[in-house]
Amino acid sequence: MYDAPNTLGDTVDQTETKISARNVQVFYGDNHAIKDVNVDIENKSVTAFIGPSGCGKSTFLRCINRMNDTIDICRVEGDILLDGEDICDKKVDPVQLRAKVGMVFQKPNPFPKSIYDNVAYGPRIHGLAKNKADLDEIVEKSLRRGAIWNEVKDRLHAPGTGLSGGQQQRLCIARAIATEPEVLLMDEPCSALDPIATAQVEELIDELRHQYALVIVTHSMQQAARVSQKTAFFHLGNLVEYGDTSQIFTNPKDERTESYITGRIG
Amino acid sequence: MSVFWLCMIVLAICVVGFLFGRTRALSSAAGEARQLHSLPNYYGWNVAMKVVVPAFGLMAVWLIAQPIVLESRVAGMIPQSEIKEGSSVGLVMAEVRRAASGLENAVASGALEAGLARDPEADPAMISERLKEAGQVVTAEITQTILQAAQAFSAMSATANWVMTVLVIAIALGAAAMAVRQSDKEYKARNAVEQGILALLIAAASVAILTTIGIVLSLIFNTAEFFRLYPALDFFTLLEWAPSFSGRGGTSQLGILPLLWGTLYISFIALLVAVPLGLFAAIYLSEYATPRVRGIAKPLLEILAGIPTIVYGLFALLTIGPMLVSVFGQDGLGWMSGGRAVMTAGIAMGIMLIPFVSSLSDDIINAVPQAMRDGSYGLGATQSETIKQVILPAALPGIVGAILLAASRAIGETMIVVMGAGAAARLSLNPFEAMTTVTAKIVSQLTGDSDFASPEALVAFALGISLFVITLGLNVFALYIVRKYREQYE
Amino acid sequence: MTDASLPNGGAKSRHGSLTSVDARTKKRNTAEKRFRAYGVVAIATGILFLMVLLYAIITSGAGAFQQTFIKVPVYLDPAKLDKKGERNIDDIKKVSTFGYNPLIQNAVLKAVEDAGIETPLKKSKDMKALISASAAAQVRSSVIENPALIGQTVDFKFLASSRVDGYLKDRVKREDLARDKNIDAEHLDIVDGLMEAGVLKKTFNPAFIFGADASESRAEQAGIGVSMIGSFFMMLVVLFLALPIGVAASIYLEEFAPKNRWTDLIEVNISNLAAVPSIVFGILGLAVFIQFIHLPQSAPLVGGLVLTLMTLPTIIISTRASLKSVPPSIRDAALGVGASKMQSVFHHVLPLAAPGILTGTIIGLAQALGETAPLLLIGMVGYIASNAPDGIASGLLDPNSAMPAQIYEWAKRADPAYYERAWGGIIILLIFLVTMNTLAVFLRRRFERRW
Repeated sequence: MYDAPNTLGDTVDQTETKISARNVQVFYGDNHAIKDVNVDIENKSVTAFIGPSGCGKSTFLRCINRMNDTIDICRVEGDILLDGEDICDKKVDPVQLRAKVGMVFQKPNPFPKSIYDNVAYGPRIHGLAKNKADLDEIVEKSLRRGAIWNEVKDRLHAPGTGLSGGQQQRLCIARAIATEPEVLLMDEPCSALDPIATAQVEELIDELRHQYALVIVTHSMQQAARVSQKTAFFHLGNLVEYGDTSQIFTNPKDERTESYITGRIG
Repeated sequence: MSVFWLCMIVLAICVVGFLFGRTRALSSAAGEARQLHSLPNYYGWNVAMKVVVPAFGLMAVWLIAQPIVLESRVAGMIPQSEIKEGSSVGLVMAEVRRAASGLENAVASGALEAGLARDPEADPAMISERLKEAGQVVTAEITQTILQAAQAFSAMSATANWVMTVLVIAIALGAAAMAVRQSDKEYKARNAVEQGILALLIAAASVAILTTIGIVLSLIFNTAEFFRLYPALDFFTLLEWAPSFSGRGGTSQLGILPLLWGTLYISFIALLVAVPLGLFAAIYLSEYATPRVRGIAKPLLEILAGIPTIVYGLFALLTIGPMLVSVFGQDGLGWMSGGRAVMTAGIAMGIMLIPFVSSLSDDIINAVPQAMRDGSYGLGATQSETIKQVILPAALPGIVGAILLAASRAIGETMIVVMGAGAAARLSLNPFEAMTTVTAKIVSQLTGDSDFASPEALVAFALGISLFVITLGLNVFALYIVRKYREQYE
Repeated sequence: MTDASLPNGGAKSRHGSLTSVDARTKKRNTAEKRFRAYGVVAIATGILFLMVLLYAIITSGAGAFQQTFIKVPVYLDPAKLDKKGERNIDDIKKVSTFGYNPLIQNAVLKAVEDAGIETPLKKSKDMKALISASAAAQVRSSVIENPALIGQTVDFKFLASSRVDGYLKDRVKREDLARDKNIDAEHLDIVDGLMEAGVLKKTFNPAFIFGADASESRAEQAGIGVSMIGSFFMMLVVLFLALPIGVAASIYLEEFAPKNRWTDLIEVNISNLAAVPSIVFGILGLAVFIQFIHLPQSAPLVGGLVLTLMTLPTIIISTRASLKSVPPSIRDAALGVGASKMQSVFHHVLPLAAPGILTGTIIGLAQALGETAPLLLIGMVGYIASNAPDGIASGLLDPNSAMPAQIYEWAKRADPAYYERAWGGIIILLIFLVTMNTLAVFLRRRFERRW
């Protein structure tokens, strides 16, 4: 149904499949939201999901850390393998899964706590720190990796909600990093941000791909082109085309992909 | 002429005015309704409104003012010597009023000749004998002064009634004539009527303010009267509540502190029952329950809120009390001597407050944005971790507000404590002892036989104002917190 | 700026296989289950309380609807009732209830003998404990109504005394009799015998629902009917005052009020009045309506006025909510065809909001119906209303009680027979409340519009 990934971009040190989805179907009540999606997502690279609104790209993203479990009427079928293990298996505890697969949301959603507590929240619930010094170190490391340390290091105990939108989003990324995930899912992380903040977050994404498998949902095609190595195009719940970003944007194989990236549908 | 017939006359003038106004407006437009500024009926309503408002307004003012003015004039006729030891002007005036209405009724039923009733030299003993025969209520002996005062009172009210009747009819007719003359095709009758309706709407909305003023004034005046008879400092600082039963003795100990202690203790127990149960129920209903469970459990819990307090009172008195006694009473642990206790009332009140706490907390927990939950689940938190560490801290101000509102309910609750808490004021720590509350004492001081002007009765108003201030303060504070909390997420 | 080059501290080693749950996660999941259980326990406890409450009400109150009656033929002795034998109604009226008591007691004694019951109680006086004190008045009034009955033997159905009734309802137990000076074990033997003979029966008692309150010593006779009428008149007052005032106030606040201090003041007042303890409204009623305006004490009119003021905030809040739910497009449409603002509100908005207003009013009325505390202060308790009012004016102005006040009054009385009546009264009160609330829910379901 899609072109199997053949060669990988030389931007990635190592090619290794992190997540592979097979025949994934998602239903919202009677609504068939995702139809038979097969995709392999590589480690240490950025994969972008693009497509018109309502095409199912966010829904599919939420399958990867089973966030759809929190919606009563949502039902997922098919297999999603993370490092060869089926995450939809009954034996898998979503709590453990989500520690491994972090997520950043569309709207920055810092908890109404201090910046420090926001970042420390994940390590605390997962018991990652042995003592206060350990925790301090994790928080600092995560904030540094989230590219926000310099801006907040003097006010770690100020409320996280008091930051600007872009800072809040980077805080949320830092918060996600703090639990030491292997995969980072980002659901339109820049849609609520201004262009400057967007640029900062994109720069951060580019840095992070050296360590994690990143999956980013966006409806800005420019953003997909800028930050991702692989791109998947979704339309009406189908995965229409998947391949190297450069190929998708310059030489799409499917008519629908071409229509979308040239702006005829959307 | 009775007020009833006067009203009928005014209404008749009003109906006639309606018809005249409508006809006159139509004829000014030569029967063409389209030529009129407003629909014909508006002209009629315009006249009707302008008749009714001044006429009934005057009547209302007159009827309220007349007894006050007359009483002050008649009260002047009563010499100080006539007021017996242990009595007051108010009591004598009540006697005068009773005598006056007795005389009138007796004359009306033909048991007493009109001339005799008006004769100031008539023998009071004979008159009171005749009144008793006529089946009129005469409590005390009618003295010469009272008789004369009553006669003056009757005479003056009769005159005043006539003056009022004449004035009201004159005003109604005058207003009708003026309004009918206005009824011309150019006249903006609809606007006039709508102005009138708007005034009516404003008046209705102001009833709320009048009620508050009424509450505050009735509390303040009577409390001031109480503090004239009883030192305010004692009221607020004495650790004893022991009203004397003689009625007018100065030996009463009227300290609010033991009552306040009982009130707060019982409210505390009630909150101890209601807050954990209500809060956990709200958490479960809003975070865990399936729509089906929620659809059944929520209305069931809310039934508890719809049950009248008298039912909880009876439940406390006849079910909870005996139940507690069987465990903690003489036959059990021996901590409890009677069914009425702080515990009894507190538990009943707690049950009553469960749905109050749960539905308020439910609203507040639901107001926490879904993004907070997503953020937490996305980090791999379990549901309970999310609730404990993200949702509850975020909802905390709102929940505190809800608990304060529940506390204010508990403090102001009357029936449960009247029936379940006992009557003895006590400063004690034992929750199995009977204690009493501010509200329970308001009831007992105002429903007993004690003289209304005595400090023992008036103290109820001082208790009332304390209760009013405490509950109002708690409420304003709680609503402020809740509103602040809502704004945070809007 | 960024520090992404830091080594990712052993991520691989930390995350083990997903299919095996690690120890920490197990612990956390247990905590999760525990927390969830707290919620279930809380809800279950709440519902348990409700069930216990309903169980207590029904088991303790159902008995009030049944009463023990004794059916005996009474010989209306002319020698006692009409000594002159002229059947002159004035002469007959001169015989007080004391004159009737021996006749009734004889009749009961005869019934006991006829039933062949062995008893040491041979005197007719001994039968007094079996029969309600109301029996004599009952016979007397039927004789006065129909003097021709004198000299005949007429069947009467008397209320048994409350002790006998209590014995049949398990309230009076044989082992407690030593402390009871009103009835002896021998009496209860007679009761058992009479029951077997079918003279004494426990049947449905409509007088409890429709009758008047009785004095302390005649629990068997007390009914809630008259106070029901008192409640009815209070509700009339509330309906006719609170509904128009509440609707008018809401229309003003929702549709016309400018944003100014006066409006703010009204808003603050309404929200605060909704939270003022009901007893304070009672104080208001006492001080303003009774002391200042001199309205009669214990009158349903005053009760109704106080409850009106109490209910107003409820009605205003719900009316405003339903006015708010009418979309502005309706108002614009009316204004667009040249209606005045007033016409658009009264012709279009108000009819559309009517179901919501009605629902709110019914709920407000239900609240007012169950309210007791303010009624205590305006004297609607402690008064024994023995006669039903005979018209609207007397219904509003004559002293009366109200259902919850009557229940409170019964709960205060010393005779435990009254407790059963208090619970029974609660059943009736709750039936009214359930009916009203069901009606409100029905109206909301049936007429609610979703825009």
